[in-house]
Amino acid sequence: MANTYWKSLEARDRHPGRVPDNEAEHVQDADREPSRRDFLRLAGFSAAAIGTSCSRAPVKHAVPLVVQPEGFVPGATASYATTCQGCAAGCGLLVTSRDGRPTKVEGLPEHPLSAGGTCALAQASLAGLYDNRRFRRPSIEGRDATWAEADAQLTGRFDAIRKAGGAVRVLTPTVHSPTLRQEIEGFLATFADGVHVEYDALSASAALDAHLVTHGLRALPRYRFDRADVVAGLDADFLGTWVAPVEYASAYARRRAVGSGHAPMWHAQVESRVTITGGKADRRIAVAPDEIPALVFDLLAAIEGRGTAGGDVAMLAERLLAARGRALVIAGSQDLDTQIRCNRINAALGAYGATLDLDRPSYQRRGDDRAVRRLLDEAAAGQVAALVVWRANPFFDLPDASALARVPLLVSLAERPDETTAAAHAICPDHHPFESWGDSGPVAGLLGTCQPLVRPLGETRGVIETLAAWRGRPAAAHDLVRERWRAGVWPRQQEGTDFERFWSGSVQRGFITLDAASAPAPASSAPSRVPSAPARESAAALPAPSVERPRPEPGALTLVLYNKTSMPGGEHAWNPLLQELPDPVSKVVWDNYAAVSPAIAARQGLATGDLVRVETEGGALTLPVLVQPGQHERTVAVALGYGGLVTERFRDLGRHWFRSRPTVGEQGRVGVNAAPLLRWREGRLEREVAGVRLVRANGRRELACTQEYHSLAVPAHLVPAGTPPRPIVQEISRDALMRPDGAAHGPSHEMADLWPEDHPATGHRWGMAIDLDACTGCGACVVACQVENNVPVVGLDEVRRNREMHWLRIDRYYTEDDDGLHMAHQPMLCQHCGHAPCETVCPTLATVHSAEGLNQQVYNRCVGTRYCANNCPFKARRFNWFAYPHGEGTETLGLNPGVTVRTRGVMEKCTMCVHRIQEGKIAAKSAGTRVGDGDIRTACQQSCPTRAITFGDLNDPSSAVARLSHDRRGYVLLEELNVQPSVTYLKIVRQGAPTSGETGAAEGSGHHG
Amino acid sequence: MGEVLVGAAPAIVSGRKARVQAAAPLIAGAKSLADVTRDVCAPVGRRPGAAWWAAFLVAVAALGAGAAAVAYQVATGIGTWGLNTTVGWAFDITNFVFWIGIGHAGTLISAILFLLRQRWRTSVNRAAEAMTLFAVMCAGIFPLIHMGRPWLAYWVLPYPNFRGPLWVNFRSPLAWDAFAISTYFIISATFWYVGLLPDLATLRDRAKTALGRRLAGFFSLGWDGSARTWHRYELVYLLLAGLATPLVVSVHTIVSWDFATSVIPGWHATIFPPYFVAGAIFSGMAMVLTLMIVARTVLGLQDYITVGHVDVMARLVIATSGMVGLAYLTEFFTAAYSGNAYEQFVFLNRAAGPFAWAYWTMVACNVLVPQLLWFRGVRHNMALVFVLSLFVNVGMWFERFVIIVTSLHRDFLPANWAGYTPTLIEVATFVGSFGLFFTLFLLFCRFVPVIAIAEVKGAMVADRHERAPAHAEHVP
Repeated sequence: MANTYWKSLEARDRHPGRVPDNEAEHVQDADREPSRRDFLRLAGFSAAAIGTSCSRAPVKHAVPLVVQPEGFVPGATASYATTCQGCAAGCGLLVTSRDGRPTKVEGLPEHPLSAGGTCALAQASLAGLYDNRRFRRPSIEGRDATWAEADAQLTGRFDAIRKAGGAVRVLTPTVHSPTLRQEIEGFLATFADGVHVEYDALSASAALDAHLVTHGLRALPRYRFDRADVVAGLDADFLGTWVAPVEYASAYARRRAVGSGHAPMWHAQVESRVTITGGKADRRIAVAPDEIPALVFDLLAAIEGRGTAGGDVAMLAERLLAARGRALVIAGSQDLDTQIRCNRINAALGAYGATLDLDRPSYQRRGDDRAVRRLLDEAAAGQVAALVVWRANPFFDLPDASALARVPLLVSLAERPDETTAAAHAICPDHHPFESWGDSGPVAGLLGTCQPLVRPLGETRGVIETLAAWRGRPAAAHDLVRERWRAGVWPRQQEGTDFERFWSGSVQRGFITLDAASAPAPASSAPSRVPSAPARESAAALPAPSVERPRPEPGALTLVLYNKTSMPGGEHAWNPLLQELPDPVSKVVWDNYAAVSPAIAARQGLATGDLVRVETEGGALTLPVLVQPGQHERTVAVALGYGGLVTERFRDLGRHWFRSRPTVGEQGRVGVNAAPLLRWREGRLEREVAGVRLVRANGRRELACTQEYHSLAVPAHLVPAGTPPRPIVQEISRDALMRPDGAAHGPSHEMADLWPEDHPATGHRWGMAIDLDACTGCGACVVACQVENNVPVVGLDEVRRNREMHWLRIDRYYTEDDDGLHMAHQPMLCQHCGHAPCETVCPTLATVHSAEGLNQQVYNRCVGTRYCANNCPFKARRFNWFAYPHGEGTETLGLNPGVTVRTRGVMEKCTMCVHRIQEGKIAAKSAGTRVGDGDIRTACQQSCPTRAITFGDLNDPSSAVARLSHDRRGYVLLEELNVQPSVTYLKIVRQGAPTSGETGAAEGSGHHG
Repeated sequence: MGEVLVGAAPAIVSGRKARVQAAAPLIAGAKSLADVTRDVCAPVGRRPGAAWWAAFLVAVAALGAGAAAVAYQVATGIGTWGLNTTVGWAFDITNFVFWIGIGHAGTLISAILFLLRQRWRTSVNRAAEAMTLFAVMCAGIFPLIHMGRPWLAYWVLPYPNFRGPLWVNFRSPLAWDAFAISTYFIISATFWYVGLLPDLATLRDRAKTALGRRLAGFFSLGWDGSARTWHRYELVYLLLAGLATPLVVSVHTIVSWDFATSVIPGWHATIFPPYFVAGAIFSGMAMVLTLMIVARTVLGLQDYITVGHVDVMARLVIATSGMVGLAYLTEFFTAAYSGNAYEQFVFLNRAAGPFAWAYWTMVACNVLVPQLLWFRGVRHNMALVFVLSLFVNVGMWFERFVIIVTSLHRDFLPANWAGYTPTLIEVATFVGSFGLFFTLFLLFCRFVPVIAIAEVKGAMVADRHERAPAHAEHVP
């Protein structure tokens, strides 16, 4: 059962840590009882050994355990708490492991930041563990080496640098792991000139600098959406990509939830391109990127009662001021003045200490663009003797990193080949996070632990151990982390007096919270040496920024470089799961593109798929166009993170036949790298480039989009005049919802029924409720479902042919009203209809109804007539058009052994995680209890950061899903067909006055396109 | 042997039919019964000419291309077709319904017109029945190869098994389809073969080689031409005609249920069974015309398949054209009257959506072009009728394509909307089905009398009796 998670107690008695590499791993002490963990390691390794052709000796004799390790049940799952390292947000994870093989990542429900949610990136992270193209061993100058050789060579080189007094730099993304920071700084301290440079591909450098200016602390405050009544987002995509989307989305949804007891949160989003954050906002204001500084200037003036602003700014100021102390303004800008003004706005609104927590700041972004700039300058001047790069890819991410190639010793600790390893002199590959010990400190007062879940699949070594070895104090990561905690964390806790108990308890739980007062900032590196105690100052005392109002340039086209929610950066571009996750806004997979507004497209005669040259002063790119409704007219948006070396692996992805086209583009890569267009300004990387030109290029590149039609209002010439939009996504105004006379959800028509009621579901009847108001469209559930159910990645060509295999997809519909563009995200999956149209038409009875209300697909009985899919009103069924490959080598180890891998020619679809239902029922039966509400959670439900999905027993009147299915917001899709879906959707709640014609039930109030 | 008269019961000639038949003799050219045998059997004994060889090579090449396409598809996957998650059927089921529909004219001519004593049918029934048989073969291929796992196709048949035993889903129209098509094939094949028996005996008696004699002798099942044989033959033929008659209506009704029992707007319509049956006869008659006009020219059978025959069939074409035209209008009326927005959308989308070109091709070919057949001059111009029949064939193929693809490609949830483009494999498979059909038909022309000799003779004799003065008082 996924919910019972635990951690070995043996670990505290023994020190399993890392077994030295030269130890023969199959030899066990005859007199020592193998611990469960040892067994898990061996089992995981054995599986790996079968799958890989590594140099280790094969297992010759499989001998069953004479003494079964306590608590170990073969085939049973166990969950281990750890911390996600996909980005620097520091979300808590529970990783499900079976027979020593991690197979699924889930959210850690008790975690203070992520509260059980995850993003798509975390869900997809297992693919990295089993990635067949990871480095398996270190190499020096392109030749494979052993760790002993690599260490000997490199320590020799480092010694020479030490003697010569040369400069050594360590380049990483944000590091908030106390132990890793300690090791980095310890390593650098052995040099006369050692500096740790942190750099975020999606940098918040200006916001950090602004707080240094205004508050004397270079840190981000913790954004407390759960305390905010009015939120104004200024080009900060905080639900999608900005800093810690899972944490923010979770808090945001809690605060906005109907019945949360608060006044409804009102959210305005000012943005140039279209994000899911803007799509959820109550009011979305589209502005050109260069208008945001002016808008912030005016807003500050209005808040301070100086300006005479009108229009949107006055409205925003009025709303914010009315919610003083409960208001929050977030700016994503990389302009320091704008960020300083934003801080002053927040200070004037009394946000610090309320919705902004600077006493317990966030360390989720620490990158300093100016330090990176300095590093580039130093490298260009030949002043850097050695550069160690970990998890960063400057040769790809930075516009002008070629200077780094002149560093005499470039060492990469990357897990897999990229542009930087191509230039590196030595590659000392790091473990995957699930193979190594570690810790994290994403916000002050919260520390997370990372524990290994599997024995390393290759001869890699954790970064902590590598740095410890190079500073001359080699030790196992487990010991280093543990000692760091004994020295740095243990004295600050009040849980007890036994360190072992504290340590094992912390590892088991995955995190600990500390009294904030005793929480100093983690040891900081040179470029951001700041006073550790946050100094809060009054608004009046804030340093005044430049007083001149920034001037937008009307008419100029601005290029906005951004990261997609589905592809948070080039460091994840190797991950096929993320590449095939549709962008929540455009629904495009496998490519980046130049998103332009419909107005520009009309003016220049461009259609989606036409190639254009985006010309800037710094260079030009040729990209396909995507016409994006809602985008500001003067904006061209291009996603970063594409076109990297790592995407060359997709050349042969998918099933090949004589008309298939490769997933990669003409250059042999996925998409085009837009990083060369980034600009340095005042030492910061600008993601906005003004004065670009769009020039039509010859040719087209057909984008692979999972949705071709984007509105619920069908084309006007295809319906009789006056036909309302389809009631697929329904809305209700908050006022209507609050009216006491509103009817509860029930069938709006009397339904005739031809079937006899001869199959009553007397036991369980499984059902689901999906809250469309909570769903942000992030796509975590899509990947969670894909990983859980062994759904293959099919590649660009198949998606172009509308054959993506996702069992759960998110339909996105645009709607536009006086409050700007809105987006409705509708997770769409098999509705498990009571009167399922698919079931009656299958000639071979391959799809049948279970006694518990599930619509079941019997794969081995399916002959593939596809009639069931044709007859599905929701088109929720997926057909195996080919024998889709499930990866090669170690990659197949990541498949969930609890779910059948489907063959070619059969239909498949959502099972409502029937294997989890069975596990839950067996567990309840073993325990002699009934299955409780919430005991069984589907993969999609588990992953959702906003708790939009509720699963449970509809026959249990006390269950949450039964309650929601009769909620006033509840409705079922296509009710008039009387297919009786088991999935209830909850209407989107719109704020503001109810529109005319809207009733309490608001039946039929669909979206307007 | 060749002079034996068919012992058919005297024809009951109603007034109107008699008028039609009185206009021109059934068989032109004042043939003797011996002439009939000689003329019809001539192509069987003769070495085929260049035209036959050319046609045969083209047909076999098309068949080969189709076979290669199917082999590639079965080896690789249905993904080699242009289908997608939204449009799960397109060319495959379109071709299936198209070919099944073609077959219906053969059964209509051979069974219903036999029971109605339409003597003109005797000139065309053999070829029409052969057409039915080959069309059903072509049709039957598509449900097989459209399956994701065609090697398990036998699972759609209820047969004793050790899997439980596991039965088919008797609620599924696809299971009904399996019964309907297999029944149709068996009855059609039997009917055709039984009708062939006297003529096989004729072939046996005329055979010039020992092998020919032995083969024809074997397949004629020892026909001896005795009164008893004739009696039993007539009885069996009548019974089979009775059995085949409901199939004219039932098979295409069941095929239409593949769509009508679904929930998809554009498919879910009670009008489908009569609409499909009318369409089937329409397309079948067109195909009979196409084949007969070629056959009478190439095989020199103008005296047997006369302008009169073509005229009667052209009248049937225009009648059924009116029926399908009415069905097209009724669908729009039903949608408008239903008040169902999804239903209304589907039909407007057909006429003005992305597949409007297919819809208007269908309307033009099936409703507008056949109106020319109102003119006697057109009906009697063989070249024109031939061209018109091709139009109807094209139009009826598009009718099925429109019904299947336009209904699927835009259904309830706009997020699902998708397009459809066939691949080379699908086109090749479609061409291959024509290859199979014409290969079989050309072989049929070569080895079997294309006109039912015995029946024609019977009809001739009856015809002449009626024309004799002694019978004149029967004609009002």
